[in-house]
Amino acid sequence: MSGAASISLVRFIIIYLLLLIVIAIMKKSKINQTKLLFVASIRMTLQLVIAGFILTYIFKHPHPVFTVLYLASMITFAIHRVLSRNKELNTNFKIVIGFSLAFSGLGIVAYFVMAVVNQSIFNPQYTIPLSGMIVGNAMTGVNLGVKTFLESISAEKPRIEALINFGAKPKDILLPFVNQSLETALLPTLNNMVGMGIVSLPGMMTGQILSGTMPTTAILYQISIMIAICTVVCLSVFGSLYLGYRTLYNERNQFL
Amino acid sequence: MHILSIKSLNFKNKIFYKDVNIEKGQIVFLRGASGSGKSTLLRLINATLPLEEGTILYNNKDIREIDTITLRREIILAGQSVYLFPGTIKDNFKRYHEYRESQVPSDEVIRSLLDTSCIDFDIDTVCNNFSGGERQRVFISIALSFKPRVLLLDEPTSALDNATADRLMSNLVTHCKQNYMTMIIVSHDQTITEKYAEVTIDIGEGVK
Repeated sequence: MSGAASISLVRFIIIYLLLLIVIAIMKKSKINQTKLLFVASIRMTLQLVIAGFILTYIFKHPHPVFTVLYLASMITFAIHRVLSRNKELNTNFKIVIGFSLAFSGLGIVAYFVMAVVNQSIFNPQYTIPLSGMIVGNAMTGVNLGVKTFLESISAEKPRIEALINFGAKPKDILLPFVNQSLETALLPTLNNMVGMGIVSLPGMMTGQILSGTMPTTAILYQISIMIAICTVVCLSVFGSLYLGYRTLYNERNQFL
Repeated sequence: MHILSIKSLNFKNKIFYKDVNIEKGQIVFLRGASGSGKSTLLRLINATLPLEEGTILYNNKDIREIDTITLRREIILAGQSVYLFPGTIKDNFKRYHEYRESQVPSDEVIRSLLDTSCIDFDIDTVCNNFSGGERQRVFISIALSFKPRVLLLDEPTSALDNATADRLMSNLVTHCKQNYMTMIIVSHDQTITEKYAEVTIDIGEGVK
């Protein structure tokens, strides 16, 4: 097997023609999102072109600093995304989420690259793409978990008030919400694992097969990344909520 | 001995309360316009709101020196937001007592408390479709089952017709007297207040 056939730039342009079909259907169905389609396509193109250049540069001049910087900016971006979507959080809760995402993300990436793949954590070829998948999924998971948690405690405010007035401990009151939100955040990953390989070949495996990797090797990577994703989602959501719920009340058991 | 004493209490420098002493076993009604701080006072007393300025003494002890969970298990607040778990009346007694880490009362006790709260349903009736007034009264009977020393009630008759409200209050007063319980009630109902109050505290003029 050889690497993926490189696409010539002229032929690559042809792929954009497919968007005309999307525009035509949007017009016919009166979906007023043509502007978003343009913005999305242009942003995607630009962001990926830039990422392509940066990665090419880093792979040609592999230096630990580049890998560390890439990892740091990826994690910062992930934390920023989660926090900007859950603005009502108090400062301590935000700090807890930041640490949970950073530590669980870095921990799982290190375990994967160093223990499973047996490569240096500073090897950009492994660390950068793998951490992208791991941190990205952790971000989606924490976002879903925190959102579910905040929505459910706000919907169940009378229950929380009644219990606190009757002398229940805040910990006992809030833990059921933590557990339920963790379950909600984990389900998409678990369901994804159940359907894997039947309906479609997952993205990572597709990429490796296209670039000439033996499918038997590709499945090992795919299985590993799915288990890593499942663990990182579980860890980061658990950390965020389990440490975060304690920031909602003071040492006098009064909700803030 | 006073069971509760309130001294130079204010809430966030917005609501100023008069000094008040409440005797053990008294039936106390709080009156005042909406927003005058009646519900806030109840929440300050059972320490679900932080007490910043002034003092509240419970059995001559500053409530800030009492563990809040212990305090709330003796001074129960049945607030305006009533919550019942999905399920039967008995399920609700069970769930609430599990949260409180206390012994679930026997069926006999539950029946008698429902009786006190003017609920005629069997303990295995599902609560999900109860009216507002019915939910409120089941909720009060659960509060009674914790055997509080002080029971704080916030508008307990707001969803009830006059006859039921009167019957409920009369039963609650009897229950209090039998169990040496102190009761502090926030109510807008003039008739009920005049009929059952041993002490009435006006806190309307406290707002600045």
